[in-house]
Amino acid sequence: MSSRLRRALVDAGGALVFPLIAIVLSFVLGAFIVLATGNNPLTAYAALVRGAVGSPTAIGRTLLGATPLIFTGLAVAVAFRAGLFNIGGEGQLYIGAITAAWLGVTLGFLGALSIPIVLLACVVTGFLWGAIPGILKARFGAHEVITTIMLNYIGIYLTTYLALKPLRTEGLVPGTDAIDFAARIPFIGLGLGRANYGFLLALVAAVVAYLLLWRTGRGFQIRAVGLSPGAANYAGMGIGANTVLALAIGGAFAAIGGGVEVLGVYGKMTVPFVTGLGFNGIGVALLGRNHPAGVVLGALLFGGLASGAQEMQFSTDVPLQLTSVLLAVILLLVTATKLVELLFGKRARALAGARLEKGLG
Amino acid sequence: MTEERTRGGTAGVEAPVVLEMRGVTKAFGPVKANDGVSITLGRGEILGLLGENGAGKSTLMKILYGLYSPDEGEVFVDGERAEIRDPKDAVSRGIGMVHQHFTLIPALTVAENIVLGAEPRKGATLDLAKAIKDTEELSERYGLRVDPRTRVADLSVGAQQRVEILKALYRKARILVLDEPTAVLTPQETEDLFSVLKELVADGLSIILITHKLGELLGISNRITIIRDGKVVETVEASGTDEGALARLMVGREVLLRVEKTEAKVGGPRLSAEGLVVLSGAGAKAVDGIGLEVRGGEILGIAGVDGNGQTELAEALAGTRPAESGLVRLDGEDVTRVGANGRQGRGLAYVPEDRGAKGLVQDFSLSENNALKTYDEAPFSKWGWIFPKAMRRRAAEALRAYDVRPPDPDARAGSLSGGNQQKAVLARELSGDPGVIIAAQPTRGVDVGAIEFIHRQLLEQRARGKAILLISLELEEVRSLSDRVAVIYDGRIVGEVGPDATDEELGLLMAGRTGGEKDA
Repeated sequence: MSSRLRRALVDAGGALVFPLIAIVLSFVLGAFIVLATGNNPLTAYAALVRGAVGSPTAIGRTLLGATPLIFTGLAVAVAFRAGLFNIGGEGQLYIGAITAAWLGVTLGFLGALSIPIVLLACVVTGFLWGAIPGILKARFGAHEVITTIMLNYIGIYLTTYLALKPLRTEGLVPGTDAIDFAARIPFIGLGLGRANYGFLLALVAAVVAYLLLWRTGRGFQIRAVGLSPGAANYAGMGIGANTVLALAIGGAFAAIGGGVEVLGVYGKMTVPFVTGLGFNGIGVALLGRNHPAGVVLGALLFGGLASGAQEMQFSTDVPLQLTSVLLAVILLLVTATKLVELLFGKRARALAGARLEKGLG
Repeated sequence: MTEERTRGGTAGVEAPVVLEMRGVTKAFGPVKANDGVSITLGRGEILGLLGENGAGKSTLMKILYGLYSPDEGEVFVDGERAEIRDPKDAVSRGIGMVHQHFTLIPALTVAENIVLGAEPRKGATLDLAKAIKDTEELSERYGLRVDPRTRVADLSVGAQQRVEILKALYRKARILVLDEPTAVLTPQETEDLFSVLKELVADGLSIILITHKLGELLGISNRITIIRDGKVVETVEASGTDEGALARLMVGREVLLRVEKTEAKVGGPRLSAEGLVVLSGAGAKAVDGIGLEVRGGEILGIAGVDGNGQTELAEALAGTRPAESGLVRLDGEDVTRVGANGRQGRGLAYVPEDRGAKGLVQDFSLSENNALKTYDEAPFSKWGWIFPKAMRRRAAEALRAYDVRPPDPDARAGSLSGGNQQKAVLARELSGDPGVIIAAQPTRGVDVGAIEFIHRQLLEQRARGKAILLISLELEEVRSLSDRVAVIYDGRIVGEVGPDATDEELGLLMAGRTGGEKDA
């Protein structure tokens, strides 16, 4: 029992080592960039940290930024466990957003009662939308990377059309009608600013993803298919069915993310809508090693950097874009296991890199 | 450095030493695959390198060929210290390698394959005429019959192997390493190969022959170096030893080479096929109208050279590959349209030939692998939820019962040796008390100790009245375990014989009774 606990801890430690090294290294590299812009790295980083976690408002901003990324990160991670690259998080999130924007208004008269119904509807539309590349792959062998990328465009422009034409409101800002405040996801309060209960929903989603993958027969199948299609087929599991399901479930997660953004943050689907959440989900999942817990941590890092960057830009001359550079370097280091081997020797890579490499292979 | 030529063994080398590997050590993580290994090879000598799977033979040869770099140790070619960093270095030193899995390009002709990477040129273009001429010359000189203009895809396995050897000779190899060359050959083809090898050494080449088959080394090699657990146990003269002694050296204890079989108590038919046609992945008819019947209490052996439809036959019977036409019956019930899952539920166990890619999910724990087929059944599952604790408990029992080492349900399947992986597969397949067992190459790549264990398990199941279909490339295995032996050739059963059939009889059947082979 204790040996198992120890193994679990070592595993978790091993999984964290690389992202942590990557983060530290990227900050060291970032310091030079800050220096090059004529600023003091220490003041800049102090502002960055202050802006991320320095006050309840800052924390609230971090949580707010992390929330959709947890959902889109899970969308990537769940599919990845079945050996599939879901690049379609962006479009899936838009599908969820338009679903919420439309139903949120339509069912607004129900007040808070409409929230679970609307989110459930997001699950359904996201599931169906996500299933499309799954079916294309299972039935016709179309590679999911291509189809999910293409479906992003279809999803984005389809929802934009819906928001601009049939669901268009009379207001100045183009987009759908505003959802009644009673039918929106409430703020957490506690001085956390605009952070809403959507963050807690995201945590619940991460737990659900974990249980699904490691505590259900379906998850067992999905993981078996992802790790060894040959063995899964041998054991009588349907490769096709699991491919469709894993992508569909991923789509559902991303779509709730879109729904939560609409119900918790914007109250409507504006045009243009918030962009990049789906794509950043790929980075979050990569950083989190496609594990739900890792996805949550990764999303918090993304959210924190975005939130801190505003403070940094405010109190120093360092531009917002520095955090994009930092994130890029972090992701580069997390994925470039060979580079880490050069820096820290083979042992370090063997410790934590092998699994990731295999996963990406 | 003083003369210490024969440190690796007890037997001396009379001919000039062309190759010496001295104190080679190579570790993978905590495991030392090679631990101070020294071998010597004399000119015109065939050195047998004998060891169980995982003993370190292949690692040593990969070091020699520059595919791995050793942690310690040195290599001397013709008495000169050789830094071999990659295969190119090895080739320039006159070392040639014939891998177990061929490295030929099927779409190219024999001549093109042979000169590939070292092409004779005429200006900027390939001088194909010269390539063909060179190939013909080489092929004639050593009796390696093969037509340079044939596409490799159209060659038999034996002929492809000859192309591999020619490839090495074309690159002026004087030291030839062959990794398990007989695994894919019929007995006759093996004899052909050995006479070619004798010809090569008569011409002054030196050969290292890697194998885990005891018998064949005695006939052909001059000396045999036995490796166990990464260390050289001993080097013996082939003339002064026998199979029993070699097996003992290889395993480190007394081994039962013969299995003891009780009288068969044959019951009714349990697994049968009629007019079964199965397509290969490429769409060709891999199984072309096979009928067979396995009865309770007997082992039906399927002998044949690799690639004659064995894989597809096993998969179609087990339900993991659809049958194009024909019938599969399980205990009298037509299960042709029943999937693998349904057939498992009806008491069919299947030990697949490829445990690495099919039998086990390498990155699953042993407990997950043990539940790979039953994860959705009680006590592992209820209402769609699974219970890892129950899986772990059951796996711990099964692993102990089948002597899987380590018997740790949390260990990753991929971290086990081949023999232990296979025992883990067996533990899963047999612990469900199946009525019918399909065992496809159950001892492929498994050490002698594990082979003994697996054979005992299969015979025990036979004694308990189970119907067993044994598909194997190892003639000895088929013969010693089976009650009846059917020979498969080109997707058809070409004959059935008793287990006491001679090598010649079986060999002819395995070659499709034509006596020759598809030489172009």
